[in-house]
Amino acid sequence: MRIVVTGMGVVSPIGTGVDQFWDAAIKGMSGIRRIQSFDASRQRSQIAGEVIGFDPTSFLSAKQVEQTDRFTQLALLAASLALEDAGSLDGYAPERLAVSLGSGMGGFATFESSAARKLQNKSVPPFTVPRIMANSAAAWIATKYRLKGVNLTSSTACSSGGNAIGMGLDLLRTGKADAVIAGGTEACVLPLTMSGFEALFALSTHYNNDPEQASRPFAKDRDGFVMGEGAGILILEKEEAAVRRGAKIYAYLAGYGCTCDATHIVAPEVEGQVSAMKAAIQDAGIPPARVDYINAHATSTPLGDIVETKAIRELFGERAQEIAISATKSLIGHTIGASAAIGSIATVMTLHTGTIHPTINLAETDPECDLRYTPNQAIQQKVQTGMCNAFGFGGNNVSIIFTTL
Amino acid sequence: MDKTGIEEKVIQFIASKVENVDVSKITTASQFEELGLDSMDTVQLLFDAEEEFGVSFDGDEVKNFRSVGDIVNYIGNHPSSISA
Repeated sequence: MRIVVTGMGVVSPIGTGVDQFWDAAIKGMSGIRRIQSFDASRQRSQIAGEVIGFDPTSFLSAKQVEQTDRFTQLALLAASLALEDAGSLDGYAPERLAVSLGSGMGGFATFESSAARKLQNKSVPPFTVPRIMANSAAAWIATKYRLKGVNLTSSTACSSGGNAIGMGLDLLRTGKADAVIAGGTEACVLPLTMSGFEALFALSTHYNNDPEQASRPFAKDRDGFVMGEGAGILILEKEEAAVRRGAKIYAYLAGYGCTCDATHIVAPEVEGQVSAMKAAIQDAGIPPARVDYINAHATSTPLGDIVETKAIRELFGERAQEIAISATKSLIGHTIGASAAIGSIATVMTLHTGTIHPTINLAETDPECDLRYTPNQAIQQKVQTGMCNAFGFGGNNVSIIFTTL
Repeated sequence: MDKTGIEEKVIQFIASKVENVDVSKITTASQFEELGLDSMDTVQLLFDAEEEFGVSFDGDEVKNFRSVGDIVNYIGNHPSSISA
């Protein structure tokens, strides 16, 4: 049984909808700006990839807006775009339609605002908990579209969206669903969340006056990741049923690997990343030599980009040099639990269009990062098998394989 | 503020918060249920009313609120808690 991608929806700092997102991505546009959603003048990192102009009232009632956190609202818009793209799923029983979503932080905007009220001895809004809970976005998608099957949320930090897509693959393979709305969502461009990452020295702080330059995976002078927000949703189905209903097929979702470093709560590790990529390749049942594109996790942290480079080199050996790599985070920042979902959409679009989007801000590469990162300019190249990597705090490593073969 | 003034303000406020309700149909006798509010909607409305009128409803009393009049009476009986 093979699983296919039949619809995609994305809400990102460089565009809403796959067409707008992809057009900006291949042009190498940056979505990083000075933070607009709150006064960031006292943050060390004052820049982010925000979804500017996002207006939940354009697709939700006033009551629904009141009952949902931004991470849910972003997911609802991405899901509506993906479902529209996929065409009607009415042929499936509602109990066979599943949702598998990822979010690292959940409704953290609500957490921060309600906590601030509580600390001032003010009453707390009644929808505080249903807005914060990590499965809120998945539950709202199910409720809006009456998807009555399995409803799961993976919260594995920066790899959440990757696990959610992998779980979606497993649900279809094991016969627990006929179609899965899978992806990730995150909205944590927020003062407390960012202060937490600042305290770990994980965020970029030297490019506050030059935001578009700040997210620079593999570049010599990178200094941390840039917070981003957004949502990415993929519609997954079994090939036969998708063909039967005449669905457009973007690519096969062929493999999923997931491992844990089990060594350190935040530091990445080569061995764990190698074993996740290896597991995904084995799961796809393909020789490693078939991988011709990698959408790297590549957050632009000094350590992370080197570790991933080493892991790719260790797994693919000499051939590592030939594989085209690009870092979507150079364009939109790190969208945490949404990043692997948006990276997966970029991977599928690479297969679908034969264009590899660039890794921007890569004028001078770190000597320890010595692979083919598609610097600054998109390239035209037929890609048949692409891998999307996602590595998260907790030592969680996820790799996903898409193919057209 | 006298009771009529409070009543008018509360009714106007509820009309602004409740979807698809004609303000002329709202009276102090209107039950939240009649206005189409379920229990969670009611909890949200009461929270919003606290914000709007600068009051803090007593936790035990508020559980028994069923109508617009209950909000009006509470505010009328606790004038000191009205911020303006």
